[in-house]
Amino acid sequence: MNYRTFVASQSILMTASSMVFPFYLLLIRNIGDSYSQFGLAYGLFALTAALTHPLIGRLSDRIGDRLLMLLYTWGMAGVMIIVPIIDTISALYFLQITMGILGAVQKTTEKTALARQPAGQHTGQKIGNYHLWTSVWGAVAVMATGYLIDFLTIGSLFYIASFLYMVSAVILMRSNFILKDQMKEKPVQP
Amino acid sequence: MKVKWIILCLLIYGTAFYSSLHVYSRQSVTESAEDAGKLLPVKIKYVRDVHTTKDIQGWIKEARENGETISIAGMQHSQGGHTLYPNGTLLNMTGYSKILKFNPLDKKITVQSGVTWADIQEKINPYGLSVKVMQSQNIFTVGGSLSVNVHGRDIRYGSLIDSVDSFRLLTPDGTIINVSHKENSDLFPYVIGGYGLFGVILDVTLELAEDELYQHRSGEMDYSDYENYFKEKVKQDDSVKMHLARISVAPETFLREMYVTDYVLADQQDKKEKHSELKEEQIIALPKFMLGVSRYSDWGKDLLWETQKEYFLKNNGKYETRNNVMRSDSGFMEYENPNRTEVLQEYFVPVDQFAEYITDIRAILEREDLNLLNITIRYVGHDEDAVLSYATDDMFALVLLINQGRAKQDIEQTERVLQKLIDVTLDHDGSYYLPYYSYPSDKQLKRAYPRIEEFFDKKREFDPEERFKNLFYERYGK
Repeated sequence: MNYRTFVASQSILMTASSMVFPFYLLLIRNIGDSYSQFGLAYGLFALTAALTHPLIGRLSDRIGDRLLMLLYTWGMAGVMIIVPIIDTISALYFLQITMGILGAVQKTTEKTALARQPAGQHTGQKIGNYHLWTSVWGAVAVMATGYLIDFLTIGSLFYIASFLYMVSAVILMRSNFILKDQMKEKPVQP
Repeated sequence: MKVKWIILCLLIYGTAFYSSLHVYSRQSVTESAEDAGKLLPVKIKYVRDVHTTKDIQGWIKEARENGETISIAGMQHSQGGHTLYPNGTLLNMTGYSKILKFNPLDKKITVQSGVTWADIQEKINPYGLSVKVMQSQNIFTVGGSLSVNVHGRDIRYGSLIDSVDSFRLLTPDGTIINVSHKENSDLFPYVIGGYGLFGVILDVTLELAEDELYQHRSGEMDYSDYENYFKEKVKQDDSVKMHLARISVAPETFLREMYVTDYVLADQQDKKEKHSELKEEQIIALPKFMLGVSRYSDWGKDLLWETQKEYFLKNNGKYETRNNVMRSDSGFMEYENPNRTEVLQEYFVPVDQFAEYITDIRAILEREDLNLLNITIRYVGHDEDAVLSYATDDMFALVLLINQGRAKQDIEQTERVLQKLIDVTLDHDGSYYLPYYSYPSDKQLKRAYPRIEEFFDKKREFDPEERFKNLFYERYGK
């Protein structure tokens, strides 16, 4: 996985997540009939993310970022096709827990992947560019969705997002195992 | 190897995607809706924003073909599901809001039913005209107000039905008819106060009154003096045009202390121009905060009562136009707690029986647990024009604001207390207002509205397929 592939796949998944985020909030609000359920659903997400962060950090050292990124993208592609068909609060809690774990995977791996890019003078520049593109795509997606939603149902929005996650996953799968190979070739010096 | 994995993943993904779509397309697409009482969240199949009569006719046809139901909504401040029915079409009338005709000389205005009182006030105020009968707030639609046959602070013009000249009704079979005292006059007293069960009220011609300059006359008194005060100082004095009173719900003065505001025709009507600019809602943070404190504590209730009383008494002598009296603030009452809600009740009691009635309900309320936040009192003269008339005598109308939980046991608890209050009200030859939550029992409904069977029979005769349905009809009409 080289830097370009990484940024491309991250930009696509950022597009997907920015696109559905506001509507996902709406959905949580609609399924739960009180703010306390809304709070619980959201809290579950944050709490599972918090608890799984250390595990995922260690896991990423062992199996590499690429596999974890694949777990995230395929996982989210799956979650996004479940979202439109749930209608109970318990299903929602379950989804929030799953997304909490996946969210933690994404947060950790985007950083470890960046950190493990070949060292050089341009690290800062790379991180800058990474944030530029992912944020631009996120912003474009949010604005575009604002217009699109007049023509689409909220359900179809989640399917589109799922499709984008899938594309992001396939891009990652097509790339080479560079990072993991690098890790094998150049073990960290004691 | 890599390609194989990709293909495998895509196959699994494709299958999952297809299955999800399959389930999704079979789920009936629903939206949830609820009214201002927030006790009846309902899944609606379609919420239709009405803009033209053709739209509605199309949707009625569609509903007829599919055997579905239609409910009609304005601002949805009726709290008993009068605007809701599960899995049906909900017509949102608020966008059907053009002023069609206004003739200042005739003192008449024709509006589409989604027009609010605020819209009308803005249109007619420059011409020195005013609405005859409406609620104390101006946020409601005309169609909704007709359907509940409102009354307000005005004490001279009766209920809303008395100021309606005519209206057009879209009937359950999709035709449009005129209804007035001359045309289809048998329907007039059913559709007004008809709770949306006879069809869609399309446009309404209302009679208007002169806008006038009033001077506030405020005073405080004991509840036992109120009846005589009202009879002698208000009703017999033709210069008093509007009236509003409040009785304390604060523990220290509970159902004893009162203050009243009479709106007296000012001597110098030439000063009207100076006061005729329509007032806008003032800063609501302070009253909202005080109402908030009063929800949760007795000292908050005492504080609110004292402050409110002082405020009203201080307004003694103030000049205000009729139009401005009829646009009182409501924003501060909005309440967003997810687990609790605020519901209204309105009880009518003959003027002669007021003091004994208050004594009786005080006895109940001192024993029972009910978070009562406010009681305002208005007057409505004897008026039995509508089939479901509440003013079977010259009545005081007491509006109770109650804070309660939304859970089942909270609803049951409120129901238990309110049914006792309603029994007492009926024992005093009183009545209660129908647009609120279905706390009253069937027996109480029959006692308060002896013509209720006749009303529901007419509904079934006029709409045999029960195209227009709502939760009020479901609860009491079957």
